[in-house]
Amino acid sequence: MARYGMVIDLKRCIGCNSCTLACKQENGTPEGVHFARVVTREVGTYPATKRTFLPVLCNHCSDAPCAEACPTGATYIRADGIVMVDREKCIGCRACNVACPYMNRHFVAKGLLMGYGTDGLTPYEAIKFLDFEEGTNIKCTLCAPRVDQGLEPACVITCPTDARIFGDVEDPNGKLQRLVKDRKGWTLSPEYNTKPNVWYLDE
Amino acid sequence: MTTQSVAIANHRFAFGYYRQTFWNWLIGTAFFLGGLGAGLFVLALLTDHTAGMLVGYLIVVVGKNTAHLLFLGRPERFWRAAMRPDRSWIARGIWAMGFFAVSGLILLLPRVLGPAWQLYGWLNGAATAVAVLSAIVIMFYDGFVMNSSPGVAFWRTRLLPLLLLMYATLGGTTLSLTIRELRGEAIPGFLPNLEHGLLVVNFVLLAVYLARMNRSLPAARETLRQWLSGPYARVFFGLVLLVGLLATLLLSVVQSRVQATGLVLLIAACELTGDFTLVMVLLKSGLFPRQTALTYSARGI
Repeated sequence: MARYGMVIDLKRCIGCNSCTLACKQENGTPEGVHFARVVTREVGTYPATKRTFLPVLCNHCSDAPCAEACPTGATYIRADGIVMVDREKCIGCRACNVACPYMNRHFVAKGLLMGYGTDGLTPYEAIKFLDFEEGTNIKCTLCAPRVDQGLEPACVITCPTDARIFGDVEDPNGKLQRLVKDRKGWTLSPEYNTKPNVWYLDE
Repeated sequence: MTTQSVAIANHRFAFGYYRQTFWNWLIGTAFFLGGLGAGLFVLALLTDHTAGMLVGYLIVVVGKNTAHLLFLGRPERFWRAAMRPDRSWIARGIWAMGFFAVSGLILLLPRVLGPAWQLYGWLNGAATAVAVLSAIVIMFYDGFVMNSSPGVAFWRTRLLPLLLLMYATLGGTTLSLTIRELRGEAIPGFLPNLEHGLLVVNFVLLAVYLARMNRSLPAARETLRQWLSGPYARVFFGLVLLVGLLATLLLSVVQSRVQATGLVLLIAACELTGDFTLVMVLLKSGLFPRQTALTYSARGI
C-alpha cells in the first residue's frame, strides 16, 4: 500500500500563500487555524538581505508523537500513513499539541466556531464547521477525502509553481524518492526523531 | 544592519521559537496539587497521621481531578483517557488516581468513621500497598507526561520526573509539618531533618537539570537563557530559589528552635509558592523548535 507524503521544492516556492488559502477554503478552518502556512523570514545583512519562505504543514510522521501521546487513541495513523483524528474520541487534553514539535496541531477552543463576523455563521461556515467540534483537536488530513478519490490535496494542485509534489514516499521509482535522492532532500527538525514524511528540497 | 529574527515568534507565520501555550495554569495547578497531595498522603500514611492522610487525599481526589476536568475540552469524555495505559502516561496517571481514590478511601474510612469500617488481614495490607504505590506514581507521572512529549526540548530529560517527585516529597513534608504544628500534634523527629535535606537536594537537582539543559537542543538552551537572564529570571531566582528553597530552609531552621505557629504558616507559604511557581514556569517557558531551511540552520542563522 502507498505511504503518502509530500516534497516541497524551496527553489520554486515564491511565498504566495496560495497553499494557505487553498487549504483554508478546502477545510473551512476556523479563525486563526491554518493547517498549511508559509513561515517567512529575512536573512542576511543589509544591504544583502533576502526573504525566505518555508511552507509547513503536518508532516504525517511515521513515528507520529501526537499519536503516541494521545491517551484515548483519537489520533491514529491510517495504513496509507495519513495521521487522522477521530473527534468522537478526543477529550481535548492537548497532549498532541504539546507532543508535536512542528506546531501543526490545532485546538478548537470555546467560541472559535462562532464565525468571523458578527452576524452569525455564513452559509459556507455553517457547512464547513460541522466537521469541527469545540473542545477537540483538528489537523491537516492531507485532504484525505480527496486522496481517497484519487485526487491530490488542495494545497498541491493550487501551487502556481508546482513547488509541492504529492505521492508515495516509499515507492523507490516514484517521483518523490527520486527528487529526495537527487537533490538531497531533508526533513524538519530530524533531531526530534519523528520520521516526517514531508521532505524539502533546498534553494 | 543585521536582520535577524527575534527569538520568539509572535505568530505562526513568523520565524522563531514558538511558545508552548496549550498547557496552561489549570494543568499546572493539577500537576502541583497531585504531587503535593500524594506526597502528603504517603508521608502521613507511613507516620500514621490521619489528618495528613485526609488532607492529602482530598487535595488529590478533589483538587487535582477538578483542575483536570476544568481543563479538558470535552470533560464528559474524561473516562476515555484511561484507554491506553500501555502507551500513554496520561492513561497510567488516570489509573493511578483511580486506584489511589479507592484504596485511600478504604484506609481512611475506619480512621474517620470508626473501626467498623476496618478491613482485616491481607485486604488492609493490600489497600495500603496499593495506596502507597499509586500515590508515588501520582507524584512523578506528570513528569513523564511532559517528558514523553518530544515537542518541548526543555522537558526531554529523565531528570524531570525525578525533580517533580522530589518536589512532591518536599511539599508533602512541609504540609505534614504544618498540619501537625497547627493541630498541636507531636512531630516525628526525622520530619524537620527530612525537610531540610529535601530543600538542599532539590536545589542540587535544579542545578543539575539546568546544567543538563545547557547541553540540550537549541530550544532548550533558549529556555534556559530565559530562566537565567531573560523574562523568567526574576521569577526563577526570586520565587523558586530564594523564596521556595532558601527562605524555606532558613525559616525552617529557625522554627526548629523557636516553635512559632505563625512561622510554620510562613514556611508553608514560601515552600508552596516556590513549588507552584516552578511547575508554572516549566509549563510556560516551554518552547517548540524553530522551523528553518537546512541551509540556514547549517550556517547557524
